[in-house]
Amino acid sequence: MDQSLWKWPICLLAAVLIGSGAFGADVDVQKGRHSFGVSGFGGDASIAGQVTDVLKNDLRLSGYFSLAPADSAEYVQSGTVRGDRSGVVVECVVIQRATKNVVLSKSYQGSGQDLRRVVHKLTDDIVKTLMGQSGIAETKIAFVWAHGGSKELAVMDYDGYNVKQLTYDRSISVRPKWSPDGRKIVYTSYKNLFPDVLEVDLYTGQRRRLAAYPGLNTGAAFSPDGLSIALTLSKGGNPELYTMNAQGGDLRQLTHSRGGESSPTWSPDGRNIAYVSDESGAPQIWMTPKDGGAASRLTVSPSYNTEPDWSRPPANSDMKPMLALTSRVGGKFQIGVYDRGTGAVTPVVADGADNEDPSWAPDGRHLIFGKTQHWRTQLYLLDVVTGEQVQLPAIEGGASEPAWGP
Amino acid sequence: MRKRFLAQIILTAVVAAFGLTGCKNKTGGSSSTTQPGADKGVNPLVGDGGVTSSDGSRPVGFTGEPVKGQFGIVYFDYDSARIRPSEDSKLQAVAAYLKSNPGKLVVEGYCDERGTAEFNRALGERRALAAREELVKQGADGSRITTISYGSDRPADMGHDEAAWSKNRRCEFGIVNQ
Repeated sequence: MDQSLWKWPICLLAAVLIGSGAFGADVDVQKGRHSFGVSGFGGDASIAGQVTDVLKNDLRLSGYFSLAPADSAEYVQSGTVRGDRSGVVVECVVIQRATKNVVLSKSYQGSGQDLRRVVHKLTDDIVKTLMGQSGIAETKIAFVWAHGGSKELAVMDYDGYNVKQLTYDRSISVRPKWSPDGRKIVYTSYKNLFPDVLEVDLYTGQRRRLAAYPGLNTGAAFSPDGLSIALTLSKGGNPELYTMNAQGGDLRQLTHSRGGESSPTWSPDGRNIAYVSDESGAPQIWMTPKDGGAASRLTVSPSYNTEPDWSRPPANSDMKPMLALTSRVGGKFQIGVYDRGTGAVTPVVADGADNEDPSWAPDGRHLIFGKTQHWRTQLYLLDVVTGEQVQLPAIEGGASEPAWGP
Repeated sequence: MRKRFLAQIILTAVVAAFGLTGCKNKTGGSSSTTQPGADKGVNPLVGDGGVTSSDGSRPVGFTGEPVKGQFGIVYFDYDSARIRPSEDSKLQAVAAYLKSNPGKLVVEGYCDERGTAEFNRALGERRALAAREELVKQGADGSRITTISYGSDRPADMGHDEAAWSKNRRCEFGIVNQ
C-alpha cells in the first residue's frame, strides 16, 4: 500500500506534464496521437512477426497512437509469444517510458486460427486501459461483394482481413445492416426476383423474409434497442418510410409525400429517424419522430445529400453522436458530417474521387466508406479526429455498401 | 483453468518483483489472462441457405421469368422519374397490348451509375411506378402490373459516359403468365 501511495504524486505530475504538452516530443500534437514503441515479441519466431505486424496495424488504425522508436516513445510494448498444436499464448507488457510504470500486463490464449483475433483483443485492451475508450479492433464489417454480374454479402474483420462470403445466391444482395447485438444482418435480396427485405442469423445461418410487399422493399435498419426496423416500401404507390417490429409485423407508415423516401437511420435514443427525401427537389436529409408526426428538413446545402448514418458512440466516449452522409459537390460524391447545432455539413472526405456509403464504427470516431476510382469501388477507413484515410486490402471484383458491426 | 490461474500468479509476481504498480486511477497496471470467446462470427450460407418461404415475395399471380423484348424501352432524364412526351407512344403500345391480351406485366426501373445506391433504388422504383401510373391512365388494369427497381444494377450499356447513361435511365417491360 505504501509503495503505491507514494506513486500518486508522480502519476498526477505525469498527467499534468502530458496535459501541458511538456511531453510534446512524445505526442503528435497536430493529430492528438500518443507515440507508441512496439518492441515486438520474443519466443516463437514463426508467429512473433505476424503478431507484431497485426499489433502495429491495429495501433495505427485505432487513431490514438503513432508508431515511434521504443527509445523515444511515450509508451513502450514488449512481450512474448508461444505456439503449439493447442494454440497460442501472447503475453504483452506496456510501460509508460517516462514513469517506468507498467500500464498494462496481460496474457492471451487462443487457437492457432485465432491469432489475429487475439491481437485485436490486446489492442482494444490497450486502447481501453491507456485512453479510457472503447476500441474497434474486435469489430466486424459487412459489405456487398461484386461477383461478375451478381452481388453477394460478405463479412470481414474491421481491418479487411478474414473475409467470409455470406450469401451464394448468384442474385443481387445489397445494403446490409446489423442488429444491435451483432447476431443478425438485414439486407435487400433479389433472390426471388423482387427486392425483398431478408434477415440472416449469423450464428445459425438461417434466413427469413421480413418484408415482401408489392414493389420495393429495401433500406431496412434496426432501431438501437433491436425491437423495430425502419424501411422503405412502395406498396402504396410511392417509396415511403415505414416501421415494423423485428418479426416483420405491426407495419406503420411514417411518411406521406410526393417524393421518394429512403435510407432510414435511427437517432441514438431511438426516438427519431433521419432519412433521404427528394420532396424539395434534389435529395436532402429529413427527420421524423419514429411514431409519426411532422417531418423536418435537416440539411440545406450542399444541394444533394444522401445516405445518412447516425453514430452511436458509447456513453464514456469523447465523441458525440453525429450524422455522416454522402454529398454531391461539383459532380463528385464526398463524405460529410452534419452538425445539428449549426445545420452545416462539414466535408470529411473530399478528394476528387467518388466517396459514398459512410457507416460509423461503434466508437463514433471511425467511418468505413466506399471509394470509387476508375469505376471500381474499394473500402476505406476514416478516422474523423485525425482525418486519416486508410485503404483496406483490395477485394477482387469490388466492394461497396459497407456496414460496420456493433 | 489451473494453467490460466498459474499464469496469472506468475505475471502478478513478475510485476510485483519490479515494484511497478502503476497509476490505479488512469491506467490500472492490471494483470490478467484473457481468452477470446468462441467465434460466433459467421456461418457461411451455402446454396439455398434455409430461406424459409419459397415464393413468398411474388405478388399474387406473378410467377416465372418475365419475357422481355416485345416493347420499346422508356427512357428518362437524369435524376427524374417524369415520363417524357417522347415516350408516350411506347406506353400506349404496352397499354394496348394489356387490354387485348392475357398475362401480367412487370415494369423494371433502372438508373445510371451516378447517384448513390439506395437513392437509385428509390428512383428506379419511381420510374417504374410512373410508367405503371401512365399505363393505368391509358386504361390498363393496374392489378395486372407490378414493379421492380434495380437501381443502378444491371445497366443496359456498360460504358461510363452520357451516351451509356442515357440508355441506362430506363424502364423495361416483361410479360409473365402469358
